[in-house]
Amino acid sequence: MEKREEYLERYMRNTHRLGRAASLATLAMLLGAPFLIGTVLGAGPDLGAAARGFLSAGLVWTVSSVVEFLVYTPMLGAGGSYLAFITGNLINMKIPCAINAKDMVGAKSGTRENEIISTLSIATSSLVTIAVLAAGVALLTPLRPVLQSEVLAPAFANVVPALFGAMGYRYYRQNIRLAAVPLIIMSLLFILMPGLTGSTSMMIIPSGAIAIALAWMEYRKHQKEGRA
Amino acid sequence: MKGTILEQLSSGPVYLICGAIILFVGVVCAVFMVRAWKAGIAIGMDRARMKRAVTASASFSVLPSVGILLGVIALSGSLGVPWPWLRLSVIGALHYETQVAAAAAEAAGLPELSGSAMTAQAFSTIALLMSACIMWGMILSTLFNRRYLHRLHGQGDRKAGEKKGGFGDAAMSAMFIGMVSAYLGSYLGDFVSGKGRFAFRGSWTPLAAAAASALAMACFTWLSEKKGMKWLDNFSIAASMLAGMAAAVAIGR
Repeated sequence: MEKREEYLERYMRNTHRLGRAASLATLAMLLGAPFLIGTVLGAGPDLGAAARGFLSAGLVWTVSSVVEFLVYTPMLGAGGSYLAFITGNLINMKIPCAINAKDMVGAKSGTRENEIISTLSIATSSLVTIAVLAAGVALLTPLRPVLQSEVLAPAFANVVPALFGAMGYRYYRQNIRLAAVPLIIMSLLFILMPGLTGSTSMMIIPSGAIAIALAWMEYRKHQKEGRA
Repeated sequence: MKGTILEQLSSGPVYLICGAIILFVGVVCAVFMVRAWKAGIAIGMDRARMKRAVTASASFSVLPSVGILLGVIALSGSLGVPWPWLRLSVIGALHYETQVAAAAAEAAGLPELSGSAMTAQAFSTIALLMSACIMWGMILSTLFNRRYLHRLHGQGDRKAGEKKGGFGDAAMSAMFIGMVSAYLGSYLGDFVSGKGRFAFRGSWTPLAAAAASALAMACFTWLSEKKGMKWLDNFSIAASMLAGMAAAVAIGR
């Protein structure tokens, strides 16, 4: 038993070490690649223009990234979140994928079991994306007319709504009262202030806060009932 | 280097650079996966459950990945194939890349993000900006992941399979419900007020896709729970998404 605990301690310590090293290495490669490609092409980046562009466009994404880090890290656990932030596509794939896997095996948040399931799920999802994209790039010429056909265009433009429809059903039926309130409030907000649709990823915060507050009230109520 | 700028951007050396980074990330994913699998076995987790998580995640990811491939195709007209391939395989996000590429093109002095206006320097500036703007998730993760999780979960070292109880699990489910509600609310808001407040002239395709997908999910859940077809659970999300996407095509036509 003690050996198993030691193993787990070591596993978590090494997960953080590995995660940090992989993140830093990927970051260095991604920032270095434009310079390397620039050398191949014979013209490196214009650093002044890049700095100006960063101030105008980058800061918005900085705020969004902080929100993503704070919200998604607890959902994914250590290994899953390192991988997810390296491989991207969080909202439209990694988060729902990990949540789906967690539900399917009945793992509880914050447990070692969830840490492992989440890591397995995100790693699998990332490898599938890498494989699909690699195959797609290799077969780009024959695939291009199919994927860009006007008939199929609405299908690929609605992958995320289709994903949230299916996941929404699964979660809403578990607790319809908890789900109804944020859904109604968010719908009203987006109807009354349509400009907010451009900031949907930021609206996850108030929506999530409402749902968590309701879940907390329900939790407290059950606790009191349990004690009575 | 000879050829048009788009030919240069899709040349062997650029493929090599981008492909090497993708390969590195693929290896990182494989290492994390093998470690997690071994750790799962070491703490006594059921192999069948872990296998189920892997199978469900793989089937879940195929359709969104094809959607992401479309992003590669869309950006390849202005940035060549290898760079969008890299960006969307690693770190990038479908909704992010096109927006930031357009903003970066403006900063690089291009009238628009297009292959005809592209120059070698504009490309490398855009590529640098695309990398720099989205690096924060990795930086925050590197600096604060351990401390943040430690603070949230106390010791953060719970035993395998231990029922954490408490509020943590309910909070995570609630957060996800909040996330789904924000997106579904935005689809409804766009339909009702997207083209003028209460005009009801916005696109209703996302709503229909979500509804069709939810309906399909309801059918799969019924088959699984009432008819004992548990094996459907591994593919129910992917198949429901297909139903939603098919509804979008039917409406689109």
